[in-house]
Order: sequence, then C-alpha cells, then structure tokens
Amino acid sequence: MPIVLYYFLAFTAINILMCWTLYLPYRVSQLHFLSVACMAIAAYFGGFAAREWDWPFVLILLVGIGIGAFVAFIPSLAIGKAPCFTVVIVGLTFIFIVKTIIENWELVGGTVGFFGIPPVEHLLPITYLLLIIVGFFIYRIDHSRLGRAASVVFVDKDVAATLGVNVKNLGMFYQIIAGAIGGMTGVLYAFLIGSLFPEFFGFHIIGALMCMLFVGGYTTMWGVVISVPILGGLPLLLPSAVASWRQVIYGVLLILIILFRPEGLISKRMLSTLKRKNKWQTAGNMGKSESRLSKELGKE
Amino acid sequence: MEVFVAQLLNGLSLGSIYVLLVTGFNLMILVARIIQFAYPHIVVLSMYACWEVLKLTNNAFLALLSCIAASVILNILSELIFRRLTNREGVDINVSFVISMGMAMVITDIMSHSLNYGFPITFPAFWVGGSLIRFGLITLSKGQIYALVGSLVTVLIFFYLLYRTKQGRVFRAMAENRYVARLIGIPIVKTSIFSYIIAGLLGGFIAILFSMLLGSASPNLGEFVALKVIAVSIVAGLGNLKGGLVCGLLLGIAEAMAMGYISGSWSNAISFIMMLMIVLIKPQGLFGTQI
Repeated sequence: MPIVLYYFLAFTAINILMCWTLYLPYRVSQLHFLSVACMAIAAYFGGFAAREWDWPFVLILLVGIGIGAFVAFIPSLAIGKAPCFTVVIVGLTFIFIVKTIIENWELVGGTVGFFGIPPVEHLLPITYLLLIIVGFFIYRIDHSRLGRAASVVFVDKDVAATLGVNVKNLGMFYQIIAGAIGGMTGVLYAFLIGSLFPEFFGFHIIGALMCMLFVGGYTTMWGVVISVPILGGLPLLLPSAVASWRQVIYGVLLILIILFRPEGLISKRMLSTLKRKNKWQTAGNMGKSESRLSKELGKE
Repeated sequence: MEVFVAQLLNGLSLGSIYVLLVTGFNLMILVARIIQFAYPHIVVLSMYACWEVLKLTNNAFLALLSCIAASVILNILSELIFRRLTNREGVDINVSFVISMGMAMVITDIMSHSLNYGFPITFPAFWVGGSLIRFGLITLSKGQIYALVGSLVTVLIFFYLLYRTKQGRVFRAMAENRYVARLIGIPIVKTSIFSYIIAGLLGGFIAILFSMLLGSASPNLGEFVALKVIAVSIVAGLGNLKGGLVCGLLLGIAEAMAMGYISGSWSNAISFIMMLMIVLIKPQGLFGTQI
C-alpha cells in the first residue's frame, strides 16, 4: 500500500474516533477536550508497554481503554454537570499539564519524542473493525433512552431534570465513554504511526477536530464520517504551499459553517427528512404495486 | 528573602497584565454576551503590528498608534462576525466560543507563517529598556514599571468609566438584563459595538505593556495566554470583574514564585494545576459567575 494512502486511511480512522469523543459529551452540551489528554496518556503508555515490557497488543489496547476511562472518570465527578466552559478549561489545562509532564520526562523521550514502537500485523483492518464497533455502539446509545435524555439536556438542563433525567450521571457517562474511546484511539495511534511527539497533542489537534466535528455536523454521529475524509484529505490534494495553511483553512471553514449552516453539513433534521422521504417513496411504491396487483386480480 | 521580593515584583507586573486581559475578556462576556477566546490572540497580533512599525520606522509614537489601531480594528472585525450570531435567537454563548476558536486558529497560523517567517520577534532595546532600580537580587526594569503603573492607571480609568459615567451605567444595565435594557431604550447594538471598541483600546494598551514587559513575542503566545485568561476568568467566576482583578494578580504572583523556586518548564504547569484544582472543587468560580 502506498505510504500516503496508508497515512490517509490511518488518520481518517483516528480522526473519526477522536471526533466522536468530542461528539458524545457535546450531546449534553459539553466540549470535552479531556479525551485528547486521555489519548496522549494511553498512546505513551501503549508505546512504552510494547517497547519496554513486550506486552501483547490486545492487552495494551484493553489497558489503554481502561486508562482513558479512569482519567476521564476522576474529573467527571466534579464536572459531570458543569457548564461548557468549565469543562473546556478542565480539558485544556489537563492537556497542558500532561504535555508538560511528557516533555520533562526523559523516560518517554521528552521533547525529542518516543520512537521504536513495534509494528502490529494487519493493524489498519483491525482499526477499521474497531471503528465500526465503536460506531455501532454510539449508534445504539444515540437511539436509546440515554440518547433521547441527552437531546433534552442539550436543549434545556432544567427541563431534563424535571423529566427525571439525572444530568450529572448522564454527563459523567458521556465523559467516561469519550475518555475510553480516547484511550483506545491513543493506543491505535501509537501503533499505527510508530512514534510519538508531545507537540502532536496540542491546540492544533483540538482545532482540527473541532473543525471536523462542526463542519460535518454536531447533531449526528454521521457528520464526521463525511467531513473527516474530506478535510483530512484536503492537505494531500492541495499543493504543498496551500496545504501548509491548513489551520487557516480549518479556522475559516469553522467560522463560515457556524455562521451559515450552524448544524453542519449533515444535521439530524436533514437525516430525518431523508428518512421520511424514503418512507413515503417506499409506501408510494408499495401502493403502486398493490393497485397494479388489484387491477390484475380484477382482470382475472 | 531577596528572591521572594524580586519574584513578588515580577509577579505583580505580570499579574497586572493578566488583570487587564481578564477585564477586557469579561467586558465582552458581560456586555456582548460572547466568549472571545481569540482576544489574547488579537493582543499578540497587535504586538506584531507594533514590532513591524518599529522595524520599518523606528518611531515609538507610530508604533504605539499602530498597536492600538490594530487591536481596535481586529475587535471591530470580530464584532461583525459575532453580530450575525446575535441577530438570531439571542447569542448562543457556546457557539461564540467555537467561532472565536476558529478566529484564534486563523490568527495563530497567520503569525506562524507570514510574520517574521514564524520565528519569535524581539523588540528593540530602547522599547524594552534596561534595569532602572537594582538592589541586590531585586531589579526593576523599565518594562516592569510601565506594566505596573500603566495597568493600574488603565484599570482605574476602566472602573471609573464603568461605575461613574452614564456609558458605564448602560454597560452595567446590559450586563444585568439585556431585554430590560432594550425596554428602557438602551441601543443594544450600538452599546455592544462600543464595548468592542473599549475592549480593542484596552487590548492595544495591553499589547504595548506586554511588549515592554516581555520584550519578545511568538505565534504560540496567544494560545498560551488565552488559556490562562479563560482559566482565570473561570476561577474568578465568569464575568466577575472584581474577582478577575484578584485572581489575575494572584496568578501572576503564583507563576513568578513557581518560576523563582522551581524549574522554568514546570512553573506554568504548577499554576495550571492550581487553577485546575480550584475549577474542579468550585466549578462556579471563587467569586461567583455574573452571567
């Protein structure tokens, strides 16, 4: 497989998973950047466990998920139903603290980076298989009582509370799930790329993920499935002189989409309209075939 | 003891800049009802404008003017974007935050690509000035004195405007209740634009004082300061001007103390850990939110 295609596919899967970690807590109106910190911790743990302790990949993946969930769990006790900006600042400060620790820790390479993570066979297909499993899991959450409760919380927390929704527990649930997926993505990232740099887990990745989430649409999980390959592939298609301005492109796109299409390219309303149309068409076709059948029966 | 006093002076001068930044940030939260994450980025871009003019003309007066003009113009430009949000069903403060993150990304990338080839800028010696007072380990530079005195004067003027003038009453009325303010005849849009201009002027002064204090700037400075400003604002209580004053100064002092006694790279992490702890224990802020 050409190296460019490999990186494109790897980063597409990583970015979709990370966008979902932002999408899930945003269902309850919280911008939870802590999942990027979970990703960083799990990635460094995964790389270190594989290189130094020779742990098998499956075990590292499971522990990575656990680390992500645990790291998200502790602050979620305090910020389960905190306002959006409190959650934002907890996430951003956490990322900064984790980055500082990594940069000052010689054992994990410091600012130089962490290299020599052993490759895993057929990792790309495994990553996509995990992506499908996570996608199915999120789809099931979205179409369950939890998903409907989250939709109410997004609109009005007080109304949700009067309807019997435990806003704090719901917030904690979404934050922990996001942290677990972040941890899993971190381990996958470490093995897919083979090297780790603290600079990667900074403001740039948050900006890119925010752009992908809001351009695709934050009201449904399918938005990022469309936006990530397009926005991730854009720098590969554009000439390098233009591609180096991708943060500007992402920033401008983010502003424009919020101003002119606030719910993103794919919204819940759009999906339900499509579904309704499809239902009518199917019903219409069924109606036509029924009338044709009755006509034929009448002839007989 | 000398180290302590020296670091206290450093902390006060740095903290006074944070106070100004948090004040401008809170003004926009209260009056315009937006979270302007890119406000510190605009300040840093104004520092770049000042540096460019200094490089071209070597004229301090023109540099000062360019700094303030850049900040005011950028703030008014951002108002045009935020106004579209305001015209819809009020302002969604979360959405204003997302938009301002987009602005921050654009400003940071422009600075790291086009200005000084992305390298950090250094202000000329006459702008920064050397040490004026030296007493053992305690030194006070020209930049520090300007930062301290300038911040104090600016904060006094700002609070006079806010609490002793008619325009200030209008600002406070809008901060209290936007809809009632409209009912009693306050021009909402005009006042909102005026708050952006005030924040822009404040941003210009901050850029001047910051450049004199630090003597340098880099494209990532905006992100770094933005993180601190929003953290201080939340620790104090979102929109709480008086709380911002106290917490801004405390952050500056805590950071300087950590820098004096702990290795440089860890000092920022320490202040962030402190703020993280406060936010986790008291998510509504130490002095309570005003929005």
